[in-house]
Amino acid sequence: MNKTVNTVPNLSTWLWLLLWAAILAYLPVLLTERAFFGIALTNKQLLNLGLTQINLMLISMLGALSLNYLTGCAGLISIGHAAFFATGAMAAAIFDHQLGMPFPLVLLAAALAGALTGTLAGLPSLRVRGLYFVLSTLAVHYVVTYVFLEYQFKYFDVVGIPYATPRIGAFEINTPVRWYVLLLPLVILVYLGLKASLKSREGRAMLAMRDHELAATAMGVDVRILRLKAFGLSSAIASVAGALFAYYLSNVTSEAFNINFAIQFIAMIIIGGMGSLPGALVGAAIWLLLPSIIAGLSPDASSENELLSRLLVENRAQLVQLIFSVLVIVFLIFAPGGVAGLSTRLKNRWMAWRNSP
Amino acid sequence: MFEQVFFSGLALGSIYGLVALGFAVIFKATDVFNFAQGMFVVCGAYFAVTAMSILQLPFPLAIVFIVGAAALLGVLIHMVLIQPLSGRPMLSVIMLTIALSISLRSIIEMVFGPQGRSLTTPLPTGVLMLGSVRISYLHLTAALVSWVCMAGFGLFFKFTSVGLLMRASADNHEAAVVSGVNVNTMNRLAWGIGSTLAAVGGLFLGQLQIASTELEGIGLLALPAVVIGGMQSIPGAIVGGLLVGIIEQMASTYISPKSSDIVIYVLLLLILMVRPWGLFGQRELGRV
Amino acid sequence: MSSVLDIQHLSVAYNRKGLALEDVSLQVPEGGIVALLGANGAGKSTLIRAVTGLLGLHHGQITGGQVHMMGQLVSGMPAHRLVRLGMGQVPEGRLVFKQLSVEDNLLVGAAVLPRAQVKAGLEAVYQLFPRLLERRNQAAGWMSGGEQQMLALGRAMIAKPKLLLVDELSLGLAPLIVIEIYKQLRVIGATMGTAILIVEQNAHLALSFAQSAYLLQQGRVVLSGSAQEVSASPEMKASYLGEAKSGKVAP
Repeated sequence: MNKTVNTVPNLSTWLWLLLWAAILAYLPVLLTERAFFGIALTNKQLLNLGLTQINLMLISMLGALSLNYLTGCAGLISIGHAAFFATGAMAAAIFDHQLGMPFPLVLLAAALAGALTGTLAGLPSLRVRGLYFVLSTLAVHYVVTYVFLEYQFKYFDVVGIPYATPRIGAFEINTPVRWYVLLLPLVILVYLGLKASLKSREGRAMLAMRDHELAATAMGVDVRILRLKAFGLSSAIASVAGALFAYYLSNVTSEAFNINFAIQFIAMIIIGGMGSLPGALVGAAIWLLLPSIIAGLSPDASSENELLSRLLVENRAQLVQLIFSVLVIVFLIFAPGGVAGLSTRLKNRWMAWRNSP
Repeated sequence: MFEQVFFSGLALGSIYGLVALGFAVIFKATDVFNFAQGMFVVCGAYFAVTAMSILQLPFPLAIVFIVGAAALLGVLIHMVLIQPLSGRPMLSVIMLTIALSISLRSIIEMVFGPQGRSLTTPLPTGVLMLGSVRISYLHLTAALVSWVCMAGFGLFFKFTSVGLLMRASADNHEAAVVSGVNVNTMNRLAWGIGSTLAAVGGLFLGQLQIASTELEGIGLLALPAVVIGGMQSIPGAIVGGLLVGIIEQMASTYISPKSSDIVIYVLLLLILMVRPWGLFGQRELGRV
Repeated sequence: MSSVLDIQHLSVAYNRKGLALEDVSLQVPEGGIVALLGANGAGKSTLIRAVTGLLGLHHGQITGGQVHMMGQLVSGMPAHRLVRLGMGQVPEGRLVFKQLSVEDNLLVGAAVLPRAQVKAGLEAVYQLFPRLLERRNQAAGWMSGGEQQMLALGRAMIAKPKLLLVDELSLGLAPLIVIEIYKQLRVIGATMGTAILIVEQNAHLALSFAQSAYLLQQGRVVLSGSAQEVSASPEMKASYLGEAKSGKVAP
């Protein structure tokens, strides 16, 4: 969309990348040992974060990236994203439990199942647009989660579907660090892959389609096929994320994939900034990490004040929900571009300030 | 047995019709697909709890309280949240109403606790026997009141001058402005009416079941109801509500309780694929 | 002679970018008929929006100057208040309520009148436009362009405005219909003493109807005066390339 003029020398970019690589590599150590190069850190200093939250955040990032690709980039508003997570979880259950396939193949199966479901879910877009299409995604959500529910009750029980510890060959993924090592490269891969896809001819056609469908059609773009492809890809990624989610929790019920689950991803991409892949990462990070941070800050505050105690301890879940929904509303009204939009504005101001005589 | 299920469906469907009507009024006036309509139903139930159990108001006064609080809620929401977002893309507005519903839910759970509260009102309980069919007085009252409200709104909409101005604003926003209509006031009125109708539905549902945030799911059935009936059609919303009520009861009884939701949503999908403008709506020009 | 509409040094910008109107001054005298001319994009719509309170709807702002109607400062007032103060609008594109009947359309316009005067108001409009009476219960969306234009005019007139703003009346209408409607406008002006400001792309038509005219070019008034003066001016001929020599149907 915009070509950024490289006024920054490559050295700086490399340094940034190196810094990030160092941080990401050291992070699991930091959070597991709870010490920074030997200096012990309190829970509060670590913002009450553990590797568990980070791992869940990484899984959510997959969800946010895929939804942003669909909604922010292809312009297809979907509130049925939870359905694809459910698809992945169900595919994992079938291919692991019942067919006994190895973990990597299970993930592949999940991806394919997701792609298929996604393409089917995208079919209404051939017939209706806009609001009606959103409703069709809502209907898809209910249909898929119902199927999951029936599957759960038929083959398992009300407690949920259990998932064994995943293994790649002989290597068991049974500690948070190992999960981290699995998830982080995956997220990076998906991010780079989607970014590359957007730069490709088809990707740019998709962005054109989002911005002005008539114009795109006039340019010879088959918008219908593009939409189905976008849906398929997005759902495949979400499906893999769903399978990983199920393995990570080691037990899921259909409740896990309710409509609130889908709404969370929309909130993430709104806060992060629609259409911005880095924004999706930021949105997921904020959404997953902020509750822990708030919980970490609350014990001191609540001991003094009774009202605060009631808010922060008893009703913490509701408080977090309230803060987040208000945050989304504030972003919608005042900063519709999300964090990405804000950072672009800040960057422009900084550039203008730098370049002024 | 069939008549039993049918009548329950009709009674519940009348309540859904009321909620769906509120939804349609909001949509027709401001083009907003109000995902918070389900929460407006819940708010109605909790306003009732507040009036009856907490404030211990006599019933007629409680009704005034509920209607007033709901109307105020709708108007405030339009002023503070909806008006600033006019002209914005659809996802923003949809997400706003979704975020609003989450906010309302959190506030209610913080104030009243996450468990539901029982709601007792002087409304008649007990059962009426019509042949072999048992009809609860509560169902009957709910259906009657819903119909009175819907009819009342219909008369207001069609025959009063304010109703005419609302219809005009919904027909063409700019033309209304140019003709001297204060469109903002009309929109606020629409939201006030929409939330009040939902709240009345919440009053009944709260007593039929229990006042809890779970009622939101029931309120959300207004969405498929409106689509099935026809989104731009006021009578369509009512018929859609009735249909959804009947289908829900039928599915719940003859298939399984859990299946009722999905039957409705599958029907929604079918309608969207085959006749997206609903049973009573009119084909919209220029879908692209 | 007092002005019904007095625009002084008005400047308007859209989204705070560049001026769409710059230092425009224009007066419509009592009972007068004034034409606002100019090519596409010259700023005619912008001026009308600024006067009628619709600027905000299109993301515009008044950056300078004032608008007075009958001595009262009205710049920045919301549109519906202006209608109550006596400003009638016949917008570009007619903007009738397509799903409402003809009579309902008129009743919307009559909403600003006290109850007792509504019936008389309706009768007056039907007398002016008998075709509307024929179609009083038909949905407005099904009428022809000319009938819709009459309806829009009737809807604006029913409230007995002191000032009538008519924006691009002739667009999309057959010449004979346009002439008929302009004749009615003249009757309205004469019998009700309404001051009229017409915005017209068809300069010949406008100048044959108006008493005075203003020519806008790129947001500025480049010419003003009586209709004859403006007709004969070289700027007029230059502004409408090629139109000066072509013959138009004389009303």
